[in-house]
Amino acid sequence: MTFILESGYAFWNPLIWLIAFAVVMVVVYFFRRRGKKEYKKDTAQTRIFLCGEEVPEAEQRHIRVGNIYWGFFETLKEYYNQVLRPHTGIINDYILWFVAITAISAIILLIAGLAK
Amino acid sequence: MSLKAFKRALWVYHLNTGSCNGCDIEILAVLTPRYDVERFGIKLVGSPRHADVLLVTGPVVKQMVPRVKRIYEQIPDPKLVMVVGNCGTEGGVFYESYSLAGPIDQIIPVDVYVPGCPPRPEAIIHGVVMAWVKLEKLVKQEVT
Repeated sequence: MTFILESGYAFWNPLIWLIAFAVVMVVVYFFRRRGKKEYKKDTAQTRIFLCGEEVPEAEQRHIRVGNIYWGFFETLKEYYNQVLRPHTGIINDYILWFVAITAISAIILLIAGLAK
Repeated sequence: MSLKAFKRALWVYHLNTGSCNGCDIEILAVLTPRYDVERFGIKLVGSPRHADVLLVTGPVVKQMVPRVKRIYEQIPDPKLVMVVGNCGTEGGVFYESYSLAGPIDQIIPVDVYVPGCPPRPEAIIHGVVMAWVKLEKLVKQEVT
């Protein structure tokens, strides 16, 4: 069993990937083993270095990815205000929407079927 | 003088606490091809987490005090502090200024002083070697 998958133009062999992965892991382990071991855990030596500044909490120092879309949201503000209103996050509301839409669709299909 | 115990390269983190940049220029001169301390394995690093020696210049203005302490605490043990220049050693021309909290040995423990305004590159290299010797002793103490 060679495990080789050939497409006619190229081939793919999981064994090569496994060997490459093993080699990378050995290299990573080698560098990790040569790292400093003298540091004291749970002290300032393991905290983030920010040029000597006090590092704020994660919520304060991270910029939410949503900020990238500020202009997009600002332009479509009216649309989002309408769309966000039904998105309450409560599963009962979503089920109610599902049941209501299903019922309306069923009625429309029924009427359309009768009209034929 | 033999350097045997400390087998790794000596990595230095440079911190300016309000220096006029005179000492900093001399520190850079130490790294230029004329003196080239990197051939001895001595080099500046960008993070105290990688450093063995904290090299401080400047008389320590009040706003720098928490930063100096924080950076000192972030260097892994064993570590040494080296002061370059008159300002860090005893205040220099800024002695008794209203904005100073230094000199540095009033804030963190200092192991090596390199006086001068600014000190010559040879003096700085000599200071680093003194720090290296002291660091070796610390490493040996930790091993035994």
